[in-house]
Amino acid sequence: MSGELAYLGFAEAAELIRAKKLSPVEYATALLARIERHDGKYNAFIALTPERALKAARAAEAEITAGRWRGPFHGVPYALKDIIDVEGLATTAHSKILKGNIARRHAVVTERLEAAGGVLLGKLSTHEFAIGGPSFDLPWPPARNPWNCDHFCGGSSSGSGAGLAAGFFPAALGTDTGGSIRNPASMCGITGMKATYGRVSRRGVAPLAFSLDHIGPMTRTVRDNALMLQVIAGHDPGDPGSADDPVPDYGALLGQDVRGLRIGVIRHFYTGDVAGDPEQVEALDIAVKLLAEAGAEISEITLPALQDFSACGQIILAAEAYAVHEQWLKERPEDYGARARERLLAGATLRAVDYLQAVRWRLQLRDRVAKDFADIDLAITASSMDPACRIDDDEALAANYWRQARMPFNVTGQPALVIPAGFTKSGLPLSLQLVGHPFGEAVLYRVAQFYEDATGWTKRHPPGLSE
Amino acid sequence: MTEELRDKARTLGLDRLTDEHLKQFERATTGMERHLQRLPRGMPTAQEPAHVYRAKGDTP
Repeated sequence: MSGELAYLGFAEAAELIRAKKLSPVEYATALLARIERHDGKYNAFIALTPERALKAARAAEAEITAGRWRGPFHGVPYALKDIIDVEGLATTAHSKILKGNIARRHAVVTERLEAAGGVLLGKLSTHEFAIGGPSFDLPWPPARNPWNCDHFCGGSSSGSGAGLAAGFFPAALGTDTGGSIRNPASMCGITGMKATYGRVSRRGVAPLAFSLDHIGPMTRTVRDNALMLQVIAGHDPGDPGSADDPVPDYGALLGQDVRGLRIGVIRHFYTGDVAGDPEQVEALDIAVKLLAEAGAEISEITLPALQDFSACGQIILAAEAYAVHEQWLKERPEDYGARARERLLAGATLRAVDYLQAVRWRLQLRDRVAKDFADIDLAITASSMDPACRIDDDEALAANYWRQARMPFNVTGQPALVIPAGFTKSGLPLSLQLVGHPFGEAVLYRVAQFYEDATGWTKRHPPGLSE
Repeated sequence: MTEELRDKARTLGLDRLTDEHLKQFERATTGMERHLQRLPRGMPTAQEPAHVYRAKGDTP
């Protein structure tokens, strides 16, 4: 298969499929062959489902040939982080604890992607229960970074990030409780959206921390991301956190420039609260300059310290995650990998009053940020403070857990989009994060698309994967 | 491994933790202490918790 088909965006693929110039069966077959050829090196998949995929692709092709095109996701291959249920397939959460756990029904997001005609290729690697990784003591190996397979690919949606960078599929879902969509997006040079809390249903997805969990699209390009969010967004009365605000057209602002947009730079996150890697800081400075030269009104804004958001978020996360895992930790602690076990045990001694103070603090932080955002349309800041470290560097991996500016927006619930922002001298991806008002995803896509067109970072692909 | 730590784990019902697990337990709870020290105390009495969290605000 040519590299062009591997790295075809699904917006382009959709046009070709609709015009009957690209067969969904040939497309899926080519990607499955590529996965078979290369995934032994990257471990993006836990379970590949070729028979199911080809059946879906044949059904899509028959419908489209008969003139019943369902929309841009029809016949498009995709893959799911393995904490998202698919009827009849195992949801393992990359853990021995759930090995052989067959889902009885689709998650709501799976239902929506299937209804849109997507072709599921399989289930993807994750950090164990979306919290512990990368780990070598689990039933499946950890995913590796296609830009350099000795390096970490981020997590917890690690297979989603690795598979997109490797050209295995054009679209995937990840989940994000403290940054797990945006971390692999940063490490793998792809695009990841954590939409507003409640925008995408969590039903049928293994919880990590109920009030911080988000499900979101991961793609290579901004346009594809907007299209995928369009498919999965919407109210779900079965999810108590679901928002019933109307779903706008996420592609409506794509193609517009940034003139007159008010963009706040949250610089203290990566130059004061934490000192970002110089190459990462320089990439952000260049991005801000580019947006200013294009007519955006740039100002610097100051939020509470990054460490406050981290503390608030980590206390809530630890308490809620422990509530989910308490019984297994008591009965089967040996069945967890070391990283997940340690992170989950952090909630064991928290007192009820600590959790309650944290969720009271959360509203104060949310209201403070809303005030700071009152005079801007969106903000720009770092996602990761560093490029991907080696996967065997325990010290750097531990630092990766807190050297990030993603948790603030799990705490506030605001939408946050991570896109590629260049490369280090050694060829590893750098990134930036755009943050919006609640339900303001379309503005983020507008700015991200403008930046993507201006820089062309998404046109670069990892070396050694041309076939 | 101190008996104190083992007793603490037992009190929590975590009596199947091995010595290695107990070391992880100790590291995890020590790490959490750092976050707990930042928790504000003495918030206004009317300050509500986010029991069921919803993002607030409109797109300008």
